[in-house]
Amino acid sequence: MSEQAPVLDVQGLTTEFRVHGEWHAAVRGVSFQLARGETLAIVGESGCGKSITALSVMRLVPQGAGRIASGRVLLEGRDLVPLSEPEMEKVRGNRVSMIFQEPMTSLNPVLTVGFQVAESLHYHRGLGRAEARRTALALFDQVKIPSAARRFDDYPHQFSGGMRQRVMIAMALACNPAVLLADEPTTALDVTIQAQVLALLAEVREAYGMAMVFITHNLGVVASIADRVMVMYAGEVVETAPIDAVFARPTHPYTEALLRSIPRVDRNTTELQAIGGQVPAISNMPAGCRFADRCALVEPRCRVQSPPLTMLPDDPRHHVRCWVRGGETSVEALQ
Amino acid sequence: MTATLLEVNDLQKTFTVRRGFPRTETVHVKALSGISFRIAEGEAFGLVGESGCGKSTAGRALLRLIEPDGGQVLYRGENFLTAPGHRLRQLRQKLQIVFQDPFASLNPRRTVGQTLAEPMYVHRLGNREEIQARVESVLDEVGLPRAAVEKYPHEFSGGQRQRIGIARALVLEPELIVADEPVSALDVSIQAQILLLLDGLKVRRGLSFLFISHDLGVVRHFCKRVAVMYLGRIVEEGPTEEIFDGPLHPYTQALRDASPVPDPRAKVTMARLEGEVASAINPPSGCHFHPRCPHAMDRCRVEYPKLRAVAPGRQVACHLHDMAA
Ligand SMILES: Nc1ncnc2c1ncn2[C@@H]1O[C@H](COP(=O)(O)OP(=O)(O)OP(=O)(O)O)[C@@H](O)[C@H]1O
Ligand SMILES: Nc1ncnc2c1ncn2[C@@H]1O[C@H](COP(=O)(O)OP(=O)(O)OP(=O)(O)O)[C@@H](O)[C@H]1O
Ligand code: SF4
Ligand code: SF4
Ligand SMILES: [Mg+2]
Ligand SMILES: [Mg+2]
Repeated sequence: MSEQAPVLDVQGLTTEFRVHGEWHAAVRGVSFQLARGETLAIVGESGCGKSITALSVMRLVPQGAGRIASGRVLLEGRDLVPLSEPEMEKVRGNRVSMIFQEPMTSLNPVLTVGFQVAESLHYHRGLGRAEARRTALALFDQVKIPSAARRFDDYPHQFSGGMRQRVMIAMALACNPAVLLADEPTTALDVTIQAQVLALLAEVREAYGMAMVFITHNLGVVASIADRVMVMYAGEVVETAPIDAVFARPTHPYTEALLRSIPRVDRNTTELQAIGGQVPAISNMPAGCRFADRCALVEPRCRVQSPPLTMLPDDPRHHVRCWVRGGETSVEALQ
Repeated sequence: MTATLLEVNDLQKTFTVRRGFPRTETVHVKALSGISFRIAEGEAFGLVGESGCGKSTAGRALLRLIEPDGGQVLYRGENFLTAPGHRLRQLRQKLQIVFQDPFASLNPRRTVGQTLAEPMYVHRLGNREEIQARVESVLDEVGLPRAAVEKYPHEFSGGQRQRIGIARALVLEPELIVADEPVSALDVSIQAQILLLLDGLKVRRGLSFLFISHDLGVVRHFCKRVAVMYLGRIVEEGPTEEIFDGPLHPYTQALRDASPVPDPRAKVTMARLEGEVASAINPPSGCHFHPRCPHAMDRCRVEYPKLRAVAPGRQVACHLHDMAA
């Protein structure tokens, strides 16, 4: 595999859930590539499919209720979709790791935090117990848990939210993953703690040469951590671009509206604008453009046919799914 | 200068908690160590700070939803904390609260119509028809369809439930609303819808607000003045724009720098602040902020800095600004 090949290459991912006996797509035709060491932020309102996208990559979509209907998830060139569960277990927490908003859901409350990290090293890297413990302690230092040695044998409930998230990051790093999926890891934290965790993530990403998918609904956080942004709406990618382009020239009406709805601490937002209505349910998707009911620029054609994801004429890295604002060249057609 | 509607003086609250297993111990949580502020008629006053600094306790104690241990709450000059029962009921009508989680604060077995009518029956505000009419006009005002009266809370989205929570606060025609993180649980687009609704109420009804939030952007949008709290005390207070454009207290500076802005050229100053908020059970000596403060001096470890006026309308509690007084 060449250095230029993406470390993660998601192609045409569609993930469905059964609602009242019928399958509906929660994520539809999502494609993105992640370069080595790159951070891609996925943003969008609640219910837009951000978590399901990440869970699909991890093959953690709840069985029975949900399924990956189509698409490929290439991790370092290998498609994860057809893997069996035992094969997948070896990949998870190894070449790809995931951290969540609420670390308590992934930590065992009756085991000490140090034991849990050491156990992960023992299982995935085959280290002996003593070495696993030593390595785990080094990881605790690296994620800057104060008095790491003394706190190593504490239980999760004895840690603050910020410290628990550091434990999760240590656990994720244990196997030196190529890709870290972070699903709203700082949403539940106070801003000063959020800043610390964001700084830590940036630092370990650098140290490990790790690529990261960072899911958030906070465009402020996106601006401080991401290299590239993917905006999702109702299960689809509606805009994707390098960070500077998205903020300097938000092009999809949804991205533009999101940016106008944020009150800012650094300036007066006299022009605060709300987006009326809400994200449609997966069982009730409108025909044509899914944003049409909330869009200020809607035209009759928007309600008839879904717009393709297109490339902007002057910026091949800036993609937009909109009849009015998009370009002429369909990105899907090129792939 | 507009008249003062609410004046809070030296409000205090300590919680006594028994904790620990198997050996339990009794500890005292100093949630409010004497805070004071004023809210003018028609003014929105913000209270910001990180989790556990005492914002909700302040809002609840001044409404006597929890009994404060000491201090004064003067509503148009009358002490709310010592008002006798019948008078307290009359005053309560004028001071209402809106919570962060509208779902938890709405009775799931009651229709929206029942929830909205009940306080008016309790306060005997009119007959059946009048109450009905008032419910409908309040629903119009908060942007809910009149058909909502027949429905139950679970039939509404988060944003709509917050509209119900606001409608419930409005039916008694209050003069001041304590809004405790009213938009924190909402998506940005819905958050903006609710903020615009509250903006409208502020202007149309001339309502005053004690607006509690941990989001500095939201507070800048909604509040004319703001107080920043740290471990049960106000550390800085003044006009919102001045405070956020030129914070004086090192904690306010850190809070501001850590607040993300949607602009890649203004990345948050990462991890400028070390450590976490100390415990209110055993707050650090002297200035409570000293273990995290990049400017801490010897004096800071022993002496709590008084909140002092440093410019017209601006106060700060920090030894760096003692000379200014
Ligand atoms: N188990 C499930 N059964 C049915 N629908 C589901 C299930 N899990 C998720 N969905 C639906 O899939 C869609 C996408 O959900 P997802 O959790 O990915 O949203 P999200 O963008 O992560 O939102 P949030 O910001 O709230 O976390 C939503 O409409 C959701 O209702
Ligand atoms: N009923 C209670 N019993 C014991 N301690 C309490 C109680 N309510 C609050 N506290 C404590 O008082 C302190 C202040 O809590 P408060 O809820 O006022 O903070 P807050 O600023 O509103 O925080 P948040 O942003 O998390 O809502 C905290 O240390 C909290 O644990
Ligand atoms: S395709 Fe039409 S409705 Fe959809 S975002 Fe573009 S202008 Fe709006
Ligand atoms: S009083 Fe001292 S420790 Fe406290 S904020 Fe000011 S400089 Fe920092
Ligand atoms: Mg999610
Ligand atoms: Mg609170």
